[in-house]
Amino acid sequence: MKNSAIFPQKPDFSITILSQTQLLKMVVELTRHITTLFNFSAAEAQKISLAIDEAVTNVIKHSYGNETDQHITIEYFLATWGIKIRIFYRGLPPDISDEEINVSKMIKKKRKGGLGVKLMKTIMDSVTYENVDGENCCEMIKWQKTI
Amino acid sequence: MKNFQIRSKIVNGVAVLYLKGHLDAHQVARFEKELIRLIKENNFNILVNGQDLNYITSAGMGIIMGYIDEVREKGGDIKLCSLSERVYETFDLVGFTEIYDFIENEQVAIEKFSHIPAKA
Repeated sequence: MKNSAIFPQKPDFSITILSQTQLLKMVVELTRHITTLFNFSAAEAQKISLAIDEAVTNVIKHSYGNETDQHITIEYFLATWGIKIRIFYRGLPPDISDEEINVSKMIKKKRKGGLGVKLMKTIMDSVTYENVDGENCCEMIKWQKTI
Repeated sequence: MKNFQIRSKIVNGVAVLYLKGHLDAHQVARFEKELIRLIKENNFNILVNGQDLNYITSAGMGIIMGYIDEVREKGGDIKLCSLSERVYETFDLVGFTEIYDFIENEQVAIEKFSHIPAKA
């Protein structure tokens, strides 16, 4: 079944924030609240919130280069089967590699970044990036465990 | 109340970093600054005590990843202790639990450092 048949066409809830890291905690709390309301366990809600935190952090740091006056829109689509979250932003498109992240190699290279995408992909059932009407869109889906 | 607090002290030659609250990309610079300060003062036996840490993102984990090789090259280590189940699980999601030493409590963690010289 296509995602479009499962989730509503329009978001159940959306929020637009400025590209400021001080707002990340608010996004995390909001996501945790929404996912808990929709019957995800507290542990699952915490993980989904973390994935959204990582995605928005990547947008602020990499797509907007830490500029604080840009906009990020987060849309939540809710269904019995799960939750779909779409993050819209402009700025640089994501630099996504399918290469498996090797933490040992990253330690040797003294890298501090690159773990966020691994977290997103580990936590969520689907993470995709696309361009929608000139905007970058990161779409993440998490299915309910009972499905 | 601040979302994130950090303090440190030397216990039996081990630099213990106490993290409290919500550590995300907004707060991570303070964690990195304190870790750099300890390393610059030649403290290479570093214990991150996360007893009061309730949230961490890849930004915080990345700091540990970025400096551990330097610390190990100098004969020390960065170990972690007293993490809540939820925070431990976040480290586990990226595979850190196979690479880093996670210890149940501070006392045992400090004893594990005892065979390593505290300072260069």
